[in-house]
Amino acid sequence: MKCEDVRPLLGAHADHELDLIREVELEAHLQTCSDCAQRAQALAACRQALRDSLPRFAAPAPLRQKILSSVRADVRPVAPFASGKRPSWSWGNLGGIAASLAAALILGYGWGNRHARTDSLWNEAIADHVRSLQAGHLMDVVSTDQHTVKPWFIGKLDFSPPVADLADVGFPLAGGRLERLDGQTAAALVFHRRLHSINLFIWPAAQSPVPPAHAGIDGYHGETWSEGGLNFLAVSEIPAPELDQFIRDYRSRTK
Amino acid sequence: MEPMEAFVPAEPRTFEQLMLPHLDAAYNLARWLLRDPHDAEDAVQDACLRAHRAFDRFRGSDGRAWLLAIVRNTCFSVLRKKRREPGEVVFEDDLHGSTEDPAEANALAWREIKGDLLRQALERIPAEYREVIVLHEIEGMAYREIASVADIPIGTVMSRLSRGRRKLQTELLTLTGKASP
Repeated sequence: MKCEDVRPLLGAHADHELDLIREVELEAHLQTCSDCAQRAQALAACRQALRDSLPRFAAPAPLRQKILSSVRADVRPVAPFASGKRPSWSWGNLGGIAASLAAALILGYGWGNRHARTDSLWNEAIADHVRSLQAGHLMDVVSTDQHTVKPWFIGKLDFSPPVADLADVGFPLAGGRLERLDGQTAAALVFHRRLHSINLFIWPAAQSPVPPAHAGIDGYHGETWSEGGLNFLAVSEIPAPELDQFIRDYRSRTK
Repeated sequence: MEPMEAFVPAEPRTFEQLMLPHLDAAYNLARWLLRDPHDAEDAVQDACLRAHRAFDRFRGSDGRAWLLAIVRNTCFSVLRKKRREPGEVVFEDDLHGSTEDPAEANALAWREIKGDLLRQALERIPAEYREVIVLHEIEGMAYREIASVADIPIGTVMSRLSRGRRKLQTELLTLTGKASP
């Protein structure tokens, strides 16, 4: 190796990034060339000075806290739908609540009593929904007739869940079952949408009505609302606009 | 229908577990690039939120490089907004033929340089060069890792480090009142 070949490699040599073959050749050259050796030493000294004197700034504790809160309150966007169109999110006025619900679900965090109920609510609802999709677990009463489904709940629940068949608008009633949700026994109504299912959970609001909120998690969408002393939570893997449509139809039919 | 595995993560590797250990690295880079503690805080917070939203696209094993890439992109867009002169950024990477590392060329006794002076000098060189020096010397990143953070070829990492050291030397000589070599 000649000086002109060595010079451009001195930086990589100082950085320990030279491949073995060239490193060996370069070392051999440095043994015989004091000029290049001196340059190599200066570079090493430069690196040493930088490593010794440059401070590594640590993130201030309040920043860490701020980031934790903002990340926990943030909602991870769901994957785009097949159409390529993203759902129109309506986190809106209660975005913070919905966001924390979704974040809790994603991150598996429970932080504080205020959130604890709603965290577990979403977790339970989605777990129930997923379980209900497994064969044989969907319904305790299989019927497309609201007049069969509704009476089935009598005696099993201390409230009467509003039941409507929405077959004419593309959401045929498929049946119902009982679930535990929010620490209570809830009615779960199952509706179909093409090959998909919607689980609608209904339970007494009592002193703790759920706030209206949307959530989109891993391709599942959920919506909560409270009406007439009952809490409602709809969850499905169908696109959010279709779920919104379902909820509008259901609410108008059961008024 | 979505696969049900979506609800049964094999290993719960959350954003907080994978990214927050690198918060110091993130803040350090932002602090050096923006040269202002408040701007750095804002940029890191912004970057973390972006990282969080893109977290489902994180596939790699190197959380630090992934987060730092987002942090540096955030910082550079802040810098671009702040720059008065449009198009001021001239990357010299490909403009000069020489890749000779001139920091060795010397006149400068590195061992006697005061830390504070070195810090000032580093703050004075262009951000693109400051970046590679910070990642290399403070974060201890290899060329390959720096290349992935800054999204540049490894050869460019090498030449930016060399030029960065040269610029550093020039600034040091200016700061100490000696003429540029």
